[in-house]
Amino acid sequence: MNATRLFLGDRLGADRTPSPDDDAPRRKPRRAGKSPWRSPLAVTGLAIIGVFLIAAVFASLISPEDPLAQKWPKYQSPSGDHWFGTDQLGRDILSRVIHGTRISLPLALLLVVLAMVIGTVLGAVAGYFGGWIDMVVMRCADLVLAFPAIILAMAVVAALGPNLTNAVLAVVIVSWPTYARVVRGLVLTLRQSDFVQADRLLGASGWRVLAVDLRPNLAGPVAVLAALDLGNAVLLLSGLSFLGLGAQPPAAEWGAMVNAGSANFDAWWVAVFPGAAILLSVLAFNFLGDTLRDALDPRTARAIRK
Amino acid sequence: MQGNQAIGDNSGSTTAGRSAGSRSARRRAVRRAAAPVAVTVAAAMMLAACGGAKKNTDDKGEGGGGTLVVDTSFSLKTADPGRTFEPTGIMVTRPVYDTLLTFANGDVTKPVPLLASSYEASPDAKTFTFPLRSEAKFSDGTPVTAKDVVFSFNRVKNLKGNPAFLLDGVTATAKDEHTVVLTTAAADPALPFRIATPALGVVNSKTVAAHGGSDAAGADQGDKAEQFLNGDSQGSGPYKITKYDVSTEVILTRNENYWGTKPKYAKVVVRNVPANTQQLNVLSGESQISLDMSPDQAVKVKGQAQVLQQPTPTTAFLFTNDNPAISPTTSNKDFQEAVRYGLDYKSLLDVAGAGSAQAAGIVPSFFTGALDPGKAIQRDVPRAKAALAKAGLNNPSVDLYYASDVTINGINFGDLAARVQANLKEVGININLKPAPTQTALDSYRNGSEAMGLWWWQADYPDASDYLAFTPGELVSLRAGWKAEANPEVSGLAQKAKTATSDTERVTAYKQLQEAMNKTGPFMPLLQPAQVIAANNSVKNLRYNPIWYIDVDKLG
Repeated sequence: MNATRLFLGDRLGADRTPSPDDDAPRRKPRRAGKSPWRSPLAVTGLAIIGVFLIAAVFASLISPEDPLAQKWPKYQSPSGDHWFGTDQLGRDILSRVIHGTRISLPLALLLVVLAMVIGTVLGAVAGYFGGWIDMVVMRCADLVLAFPAIILAMAVVAALGPNLTNAVLAVVIVSWPTYARVVRGLVLTLRQSDFVQADRLLGASGWRVLAVDLRPNLAGPVAVLAALDLGNAVLLLSGLSFLGLGAQPPAAEWGAMVNAGSANFDAWWVAVFPGAAILLSVLAFNFLGDTLRDALDPRTARAIRK
Repeated sequence: MQGNQAIGDNSGSTTAGRSAGSRSARRRAVRRAAAPVAVTVAAAMMLAACGGAKKNTDDKGEGGGGTLVVDTSFSLKTADPGRTFEPTGIMVTRPVYDTLLTFANGDVTKPVPLLASSYEASPDAKTFTFPLRSEAKFSDGTPVTAKDVVFSFNRVKNLKGNPAFLLDGVTATAKDEHTVVLTTAAADPALPFRIATPALGVVNSKTVAAHGGSDAAGADQGDKAEQFLNGDSQGSGPYKITKYDVSTEVILTRNENYWGTKPKYAKVVVRNVPANTQQLNVLSGESQISLDMSPDQAVKVKGQAQVLQQPTPTTAFLFTNDNPAISPTTSNKDFQEAVRYGLDYKSLLDVAGAGSAQAAGIVPSFFTGALDPGKAIQRDVPRAKAALAKAGLNNPSVDLYYASDVTINGINFGDLAARVQANLKEVGININLKPAPTQTALDSYRNGSEAMGLWWWQADYPDASDYLAFTPGELVSLRAGWKAEANPEVSGLAQKAKTATSDTERVTAYKQLQEAMNKTGPFMPLLQPAQVIAANNSVKNLRYNPIWYIDVDKLG
């Protein structure tokens, strides 16, 4: 039985993280070359993310102009001088899109990690200890989940004041309950398992059980969830900036740039290029999330394929 | 419309007792950025437009002439002239309710007679006599008498609505059946300019009183005629209102009883259409006139339609708070000079688009008493840097507050602020942009707590006296920390301008005042945005009027 094996694994090999192979029956070894990381989607996703990461790290080296310089005539269509054209203040859009990666990617990563940590800890505690802690945490989660994410995020930013820090905070506030719910569910099913019981009988405290016995079992699903959530985070952040609640001018942020473009549809390039950057990054993060799920959580992956 | 609140930025007043909301009405083309809503509305409007198109050819009135379709983004509350002060309301009310005086051909420097056959002001500018035209009659055929004028004016005052401030301190009396006399408590040389405002249109006192109208004190509670006037107009103008819907459309039909020259179009349909759709509609012939395109959109229409692009009577201005308690930096006279000469006014016009104009002084260019364009401040970077050095400031950092969700005639204030930031960076001043939604930003603006602010002022009526609010100790100045005793020279000139009665005296006084304000003080007038009016080539006689956009009755 799965749980028993995990228990044995834990007892024998200290707390090693279960490899994906733990779940696959050993009698049926996987054929070589079937690694999920080699699928076309995974490669595409990783390639796009790679490009964006390079752009983010070396933004000031590779962008042709200063993203804030208002030196050129406004609304120049894409040309050899300005590959992506210029915007309503005569700024180079290519440079702005490149510099936009420095806002969108790190912040999306940061807020997903924050939401993941907060959600996982709260969910695990609620699931394992139950009782009033469970009640309080889960009712809070229900409260947040009862609202559409973007609406609640808007309300939070409106209350705190519009800027990027508050936008990140708002997105964290609306996204932790997903993690809490998933983790609580997992903990609930696992905490009656024999290996948990055995550890308890050996005298382990609740916290030790959570940290040592349950953590490896939670890591996979939570990592998958987080990877799939990255795209969402990019989208929510840009959405808030589009509404003027996130990044503030003159910062080069994709959502804010799309908003500027929506004021004048004749200059299509103002909105299209940052819009495409949002599209590509969200798509790439979703590919990455799918791949990660195939690798870490093959059972769900198989269930989806059926 | 939400943006109306913003005019509230003007609110409070130069004229005693003006209600806080009075300005709120006159905010034209101020729109909240509400893209998703706009898209939905756009779709709905396109459907509506398809339905409405057929009317163009069908309805020929008995005098012939066809239908004129005007697209605008509505800012409309009521068809009752005594309560209306919204841009769309003013445009629609103008051809329905004739006023004693009016402005002809878009020239707002000189009020000309309309219902009055002439007018005469006493030398002390306290008594104004208006003999009425005997041929003037209401749409139901009743002659217009002095009694109707007095009733209408008293009603406006006692309704205490948005336009009530126009008649502060004014007493209207009927000298005889065809002569009206207005007397004012203090010298009021600007009164004829206010009389030409469409809110002071004359209503048929008999029918309005019969339907619950009241001109007595307490009319704000007692008057019940608004609903009646929304359905059935009671004016003496060239058009009558036949349909009035504040959210979709207003239909005007030619008044066949009109006493003057009858207009060409038998029917005028004013529709509520978002700016992006207006562009398509004018090009396709779906509508004849569009009022809300931005200068950037207008570029695409040129050649296929006639386009008017002229400065509006709105002044966008920057202020550096003169109150040392708010900011020791911005209250420094040398810092103010550095900002004044560090701004690149031409590059700001680039943001505002073609048709906008640099504001030479705080009074809009086409008003009596406006400063000559040649007197406008030109950028002088060395001078700005020298002033900054003299102030002993090295790369000072200052917060600039503005309303981030406002677009006035195609100018996004966020873009304008970003350009101001780039300008001042070049002379060594670091600006931190502090955007906020209008409601929030208005709070800090009104309590005078903004170190620097980027705001706008829209004329309530076309006279320079409306701009005394920018002199020390007055409404706007207090928001910029410019206290009454701060600058005796400017205060003295303001007093002189306020009391001057003859036209030449007033012009000189206002010019001197603005020149002094361009030398010192916390205000830097930036620009007047451009109004774009695009019309199908079939429309003749198209002229821009700074107060009511277009004279629909004069279009041929």
